[in-house]
This record gives sequence, C-alpha cells and structure tokens, in this order.
Amino acid sequence: MFTSGSPRRRVAVLGAVVAVAALALTACSTGTSGNVPGGNDATDASGVEQMLAGAPVADESLFTPGSTMAKIRDRGTLIVGEALDAPLLSQQDPTNPDDVAGYDAYLAQLLSVYIFGKPSVKIVPPASETREALLQNGTVDVVFNTYTITEERAKQITFAGPYFSSGLAVAVKADNKDITGIDDLGGKTVIIGSNTPAVTAVPEAQPTAKLVDFATDPQAVQALLQGRGDAYVQDYTLLASNAAANPKLKVVGQPFTAEPYGIGLGFGDAEFKEFINNWLLKIQEGGQWGQAWTHSLGTVVESEIPTPPTIGSVPGS
Amino acid sequence: MEIFTENAGLLLDAIGTTLLMVVVAGVGSLLLGVLVTVARVSPIPILRRAAFLYVQFFINVPLLALLLLAVFALPDAGLILPLLPTAIIVLTVYESAYVAEAVRSGVNTVAVGQIEAGRALGLTLWQSLRLIVIPQSLRAVVQPIGNVMIALAMNTALAAVVGVVELTSRVNKINLVHAKPIEIFTSAGLVYMLIALAIGLAAGRIERKVAIIR
Repeated sequence: MFTSGSPRRRVAVLGAVVAVAALALTACSTGTSGNVPGGNDATDASGVEQMLAGAPVADESLFTPGSTMAKIRDRGTLIVGEALDAPLLSQQDPTNPDDVAGYDAYLAQLLSVYIFGKPSVKIVPPASETREALLQNGTVDVVFNTYTITEERAKQITFAGPYFSSGLAVAVKADNKDITGIDDLGGKTVIIGSNTPAVTAVPEAQPTAKLVDFATDPQAVQALLQGRGDAYVQDYTLLASNAAANPKLKVVGQPFTAEPYGIGLGFGDAEFKEFINNWLLKIQEGGQWGQAWTHSLGTVVESEIPTPPTIGSVPGS
Repeated sequence: MEIFTENAGLLLDAIGTTLLMVVVAGVGSLLLGVLVTVARVSPIPILRRAAFLYVQFFINVPLLALLLLAVFALPDAGLILPLLPTAIIVLTVYESAYVAEAVRSGVNTVAVGQIEAGRALGLTLWQSLRLIVIPQSLRAVVQPIGNVMIALAMNTALAAVVGVVELTSRVNKINLVHAKPIEIFTSAGLVYMLIALAIGLAAGRIERKVAIIR
C-alpha cells in the first residue's frame, strides 16, 4: 500500500518539464514590456563615445591630498550606486553586461572621465532601501539613482546637484475618459512603484486614493492594463516611454510634482560636494549634460533639451 | 525611535496582515498537505500520480515565480482576485507541497504490520488512514512541519513584490520617508524572528505533548 509503484524517473522528468513550462509562461507574462527604449543600437553607442571623448577632465590642482576625489583617483575606479534595470536611466544590456545605458549611467561615466581622464566605473546596484547605508559605510563613492533630494535624506547623506528635475504624472488605460489628471484620483485605486517618490507624493495630493504598489515598472503597467487599479502614477519620462511602446496606455495631464534628483555622497563631505557641483557646471556648459539626455530620456519625448536645474536650489542640496 | 511610534498604527496593521497570511496559509497548507499525502499513499494509481506531480511541481518552481504567475498571468486567463487572497492561496498551495513531503516521511514511520492488523480487523481504507496512519504520522513530524511553518512566515515577505502591504512592504515605505535603513530593517527582522521563535517554541511544546512513547 505504501510502496511507490510509479516509474519514478519518468515522472520526475515530466515534473521538471511542467516546471520549465510554467517558468517560461511567467517570463512571457512579466516581460511584456519587451521594447526597452534607451538606445543600445550602434548609432547611440558611438554618440555616447563621442560625448565621453569630449568630456571635461579635472585639473590636477583640484585633487587635494587626502580628499575623497584623490582617494578615488588613486584607486583607479569610481564605485557608483546605480540601478541596472531602469530603462532610459540605467539599464544593463543583458547580452553585454558591460554595456549600461541611460541618463544616470552616462552621467556616472562622465564623472569618471572627469576624475581619471577615461571612463572607469564599477557599478554596485543599490536597492532604493539601502542607498543611505551604502554611502554611510563607504561601499559606494556616489549614488546616481534618480535619488530625489529630501531634507530627511539630507540628514543622513550629502546631496550634490540637483542634476535633473523630473515629476510624477498619471497614466491610465487608453480607453479611460474619466481620469484626466491627479485631481480625478480621489477615492480611486492608484498603482505606484514600490520605493518611488509616488509612495509619499500621491497621499499628499490625494489622501483618499487607495494605493497598490508593485516592485517593477513592467509589473505596474501589467497591473494597470489588467484592471487592478484605475491609474498608474510614475515618473513622467518613464510613463512617456511606456505609452510610446504600448498603445493601450496613455499619459494624462502634466506632471504634478517636481522631483529634484541629486547625487548622493557620504555625509558631510563638503569638499567632494563642491568638486562634483563644479563638474556639473562644466558638463552643463560643455554640452555633455544635454547630450546625455538626448541619448537617453530624449529618445522617447518630443521636446527640446530641458534647462538644467540650478545647483543647490533645493532644500537639502 | 519616534519613527516607530509615529507609524505605530500602520506597522501594527502590516504585522496583522503578515500574521493573517501565516495563520490562514498555515492552516490551509496543513489541511491540503495531509490530503495530498493521503492521495499519495492511496492505492489508486491516478491519485498517487497526481499527488506526486503536485508535490514535484510546487517544490521545483520558485515561490516568486508562482506569485507573479498568479497575479499577472491568471488575470489574462480571465481569473482576477484581489491581491491578498491571491497571495494567501499561492502560499497555501506552495507550502502544502512541503507539508505533504513532511507528512509522507511520517507515514513511513507507521509499521506495515499495523495496517495489516487494521485490515485483519476489517477496517476500511478510510478508517485505517484516519485512525491509524494519519494520527501517528502527524505526531512523528511535528518538528519538520514547524520548520515548514517558519519558512512560510518568512515567505510571506515575498508578497510585498506583488503589492500586498505586509510588514516588509510597509517598512520599505517607511524607510523611503525616513531614510534609516539599518534601524528600520533590523526591527522588521526582529519581528520576523519573534514570529519564527513563537512557531518554533509552539512546535517543540506540541511535539512533547503528542510524542508517541514506544
């Protein structure tokens, strides 16, 4: 009665096949965002190389002995906390792991050129949860990670910049005619990305909205299209690229927040902060700031290169 | 410290959700797991085969894949449930495979002679399972099942990925505002540790109580 009479091996193989099939199915369902914009094609790559070749390099006199930048230069690589899965911002090419494209990635490369004269970046992907800890314990030198400058965070770490200003916007299903912006979201179910500025910004703007959060952007888009929520609030640029790739989605209204992105540094490192702020001014003047945008975010929105935000203009920077 | 007092309501709510998932999925997976084991040791070939495949499937597919599948693929097939029930159902079927394996090892501790004796007394299959096999197997595997329940408690954190606001998801959000990852995540870890400790102690107690002295 308790002996296993079934031909075990055959059944085990069958079990494995079923499991693989299920995995393949998962991969299909979560990977619908297939179209990853952000230019890994040849023309873009050479454009980026040109941008890096023409980028400013720091003067010898700026590396005061014992300073953070001097230590980084002696080490030979810049250790950067940046994502590997953020389309347009910092996306790793799965077939070529050395190729990380996007706005944050290009800026990190530009900074490494400024320090070493050539690009030399080592990426440590931070979770949004661990950025402060990584900076505090010195695991990374800088963080380029759509890191919104807030006063709370500025008590833990130091921000250079802001280097970019973005905002949150609302996306809905293409056939939705009732929601035309953040003002229509009272009492509605709103999908947001975990660990994005939307987590705090949406309740501030619409206290009665019910929030559902998903870990990644493709999941959130899928959830919106499947009707798990009435709207999806996310960074305007990211939504624009989603809408460009997927006709079932549309962006409504204008961005309703201003998110100033800063460069995270170790707490209280005023010298390094000044060094980076000077570099930001130089790449803004030199045009590399705009080129980095053109090669990344600029590929999905039809507008001119935006005006860079004034450095130090935000509380906490 | 004021982080936790300020957000006490939200945190307690989240811990409640985590505990709810542990209790409902725990009880569900125990019941389902025992049923699967019964099917696995039954004399009906198709049932045995189905139960074997069930266990192999859920043991070999990662829980995260199952959660994503249930949350994002089932709606495409026309089946859409709210997030919390979906997560609880997935946890239940997933952990029940592990419960089934544990209980099956308990079944093997019941001597064949006992079943033969039952048959000689004229017990039906159902009677011998209910009166002889299952009670003794469950008593033998209290500690392994306790471990499965602890794993279940830890696994509830994965539901954060698919939008369930349980403890992990909540502390993520709180950290986003307060930016104190070490303090916040250590505290969350302590809560999980307490849950695990409670399950472990309870399992030890139950085991002593129901142990078969041979």
